[in-house]
Amino acid sequence: MTTFLDAATILLPVAYLLVAIAYGFVFFAPQPLPERAATPGLRGTVLFHLAYLTALTYHWKQFPAATVSQALSIVAFAVAVVYAYVEWHGRERSTGFWMVSLVFFFQLLSSILTRPQPPSLEIFHNPFFAFHVSLALLGYASFVVGAAYAFLFLQLYRELKAGRFSTFYGKLPPLETLERMMLGALSVGFVSLTGAVITGAVYAERLDQPWLHDPKILITLATWVLYAAALLLRRMRRWQGRQTAMASLAGLGAILFSLMAVNFFFTDFHGFL
Amino acid sequence: MSAPQLPGLPETSRPQEVRTDPPLLLVGTDFRCSPLEMRERVSYDSAAGEELLVHLLAGAGVAEAFLLSTCNRTEVYIHPRDEDAAYRATLDLAFLRRVPELEKPGRLYVKRNGEAARHLLAVASGLESMVLGEPEILGQVKQAAALAEAVGAEGPILRRLLRSAMSAGARSRQETGISAGAVSLGYATVELARQIFKGLEECRVLLLGAGETARSVARPLVERGARELKVANRGAERARQFQEEFPQTLLIPFEERVAAVRTAEVVVVSTGADEPVLTHRHLQEAMAARSTDPLLVVDLGVPRNVEPSAGRIGNLFLHTVDSLEVLIQRNLKLRKEEVPRVEEILDQEMGHFRAWYRGLGAEPVVARLQKQAERVRQHEVAQMLHRFPPDTHADLERLTRSLVRKILHHPSVHLRNHEGSQDASRLELVRELFHLEDDDQP
Repeated sequence: MTTFLDAATILLPVAYLLVAIAYGFVFFAPQPLPERAATPGLRGTVLFHLAYLTALTYHWKQFPAATVSQALSIVAFAVAVVYAYVEWHGRERSTGFWMVSLVFFFQLLSSILTRPQPPSLEIFHNPFFAFHVSLALLGYASFVVGAAYAFLFLQLYRELKAGRFSTFYGKLPPLETLERMMLGALSVGFVSLTGAVITGAVYAERLDQPWLHDPKILITLATWVLYAAALLLRRMRRWQGRQTAMASLAGLGAILFSLMAVNFFFTDFHGFL
Repeated sequence: MSAPQLPGLPETSRPQEVRTDPPLLLVGTDFRCSPLEMRERVSYDSAAGEELLVHLLAGAGVAEAFLLSTCNRTEVYIHPRDEDAAYRATLDLAFLRRVPELEKPGRLYVKRNGEAARHLLAVASGLESMVLGEPEILGQVKQAAALAEAVGAEGPILRRLLRSAMSAGARSRQETGISAGAVSLGYATVELARQIFKGLEECRVLLLGAGETARSVARPLVERGARELKVANRGAERARQFQEEFPQTLLIPFEERVAAVRTAEVVVVSTGADEPVLTHRHLQEAMAARSTDPLLVVDLGVPRNVEPSAGRIGNLFLHTVDSLEVLIQRNLKLRKEEVPRVEEILDQEMGHFRAWYRGLGAEPVVARLQKQAERVRQHEVAQMLHRFPPDTHADLERLTRSLVRKILHHPSVHLRNHEGSQDASRLELVRELFHLEDDDQP
C-alpha cells in the first residue's frame, strides 16, 4: 500500500501534466493523436486519482484532509471531476488546457508538500467534521473552476474589445457562455462555502474555545462576503460579467492565501492542516 | 488558329508505355489567367454546358468529358481517345469560338494525366479558389458532375475522378481548417456575434443604412438565423427595396435609431453620412438602459458613422472596417497554414485514384485467371465425382470452390494493387505461367 501511495504521489502530477499537454494541442495546434488521447487520458487519470484518495483513506484510517498536501489533492481531484463533467455535458473541450493545468498545479503542490506521516487526530475520525471539510474543499474547487472561467472570459473580452483576435479568439466558447459557466461554478462554490461556514461554526461551538478571531476563519468570512457581493450585484444587474470575473479572481487569491499562507503561519484553530 | 501561340501539350509518356495515371486532358482558364470580361464570355450555364458536352462527345477524339464553369473559372476535363484531336476540339469548341483573345499566351492552361487529376482535386478542396478554401466550389463541382452524368458525358474514368475530387473536397473541410473563419465583412460580423452571444438565433439585429454593404451583411445574418432584423434608413425608397429582398425586415424611422439600439444585440451601421449617426452619448444612454447586456456595434461607414470614443464604453464592442479586415486577414493566414494538410489529403486521394486505375488494368487478367481455374476445377470434379456417394456431392462442390477461391485470393489482390512500373511485365508473366490464352477471354 505504501509503495502504491508513494508511486501515485509521483505519477499523478506527471499524468496530469501529460493530459494538460494533450489538451494544449487541442487548444493551440490541433493534432489527431493528442486530440483523441486528451479525454480518455483525463478520465483515466481521474480514476487513478480516486484510487489514490481511497487508498489514502484506507491506509491512514481517516478522512484524507489531515495535511495541506491531502487537502490540495482533494481540490485537484474535485476540479478534475467538475471539468470532466462540464466537458461531457457541454461537449466543450476548448477550456480543458486551462482547467487541467490548474489541476496539475494543485496536484504538483500536493505532491511536493507530502509528509511521510500525517498526524492522526481524533477530529479526522468525526463524520460531522469530515462533512464540514468536504463542503469547504468542494467550495474551493468550484471557486477555482469559476476563476479559470473568469480568466478566460477576461482574456476574450479584452481581445474582442481591442480587435486583436490572437490567442483566445475563435478557440473559446462565446463570452456569454463563459460567463454562465463562471456564474454556475461560483454559485455552487458559494453554497458549499456557506455550508462549510455553518457546519464549522456549529462544530466550533461544541469545542468550548474562542474561534471567531482565528485568521483563517476571518479570511474565509471575508471571501464569503466577497463572493456574496459579486453574485448579488450580478444578479441585480448592477455589475457586468467583467466585474464579476475580476471579483472571482480576487476571491481565488484570497482562497490561496487562506489555504497556504494562513495555514502555515497564522492559524491556531485550523492548525491541524 | 496559330499553333505556336497556344499552350502546347506537355510531352509525357507514349501510349504503349506503362501508365500510372489514366489519360486525361484539362484545358481551362481562371481568374489568374483572364480578366472578368473574358471569363464572363466563356462562362456556361446548364443549357450551354450541355450543348458543349454533346458537341465534344460527337468528336472522335473524346471518350468522356466534364465541364466546370463558375464565375472564376471555366475548365474542361477530357478522357481522350485521341489526345491531339481532343485538345483541338476542346480549344475550339469551348474557348476560342467564344473568346478568340484567349489565343494569347498565358490566357489558358493545359494539364495532362496525373496533373489534371490533381488539379481537379485541388479545385474541389478550395486550394485554387480566389478566396482560399471558399466552400461554394464543392457544390459547383457536384452540380457540374450531375450535368455530365445527365448528358452521358461521364464514363468510368471521370466518374471515379469526380468521386475522388468530392471526397478530397469534403475531407479537406472536415479534417482541416481550410474553410474555417470568416473572410468577408458579412461573415466576419456573424463570427464576432458568435464570440459574444450564446447563439445568433437569440440576437436582434439593427441595421442603420440599407445600401449594398448593409445587404451583404444582412444576408449571412439572416442565413444564420438572426432572431429579428430592423432597418432604419434615411431614404424610404431604398429601405423599401431592402424589405423586398428581406421580407422579414421591420422598417423603423431613422430618427428612432437610438431607441432601437436599446433592444438590439447587434448594430451594423453603413450610411453615407459625413457625421457620426451614433455618438458616444447616444450609445452611453442606450447601454445604461440595457442594464448589463453586451452590445456589438459594427461600423462599416467611411467616414466613420459611430463616434470612435464609444468603444471605451464597458460591454460595448465597437468594430470598424479596419478591425474586420484584421480579422479577415488573420483567418486567411490560418487557412494558408492549413494548405500542407490539405495537400496530404490530395496525395492520399490521388493514391486511391491511381490504385483504382492500376486495378482496372489488371482486371481482365484476374478475370481470365479465375475463369481458367474454375474450368480446371469443374473438369477435375466431373472426373472424380462418381467415386463419391451422391449425398457428398454438394459438400465436394463447396470444398473445391472454396479451395480455388482461397488459392487465387492473394494473387488477385496483389495484381490489382501492385505499385510500380513493372505492371505490364508482371501481368505478362502471369499470362505465361497460367497459359491465359486470348480465347480464355471472359
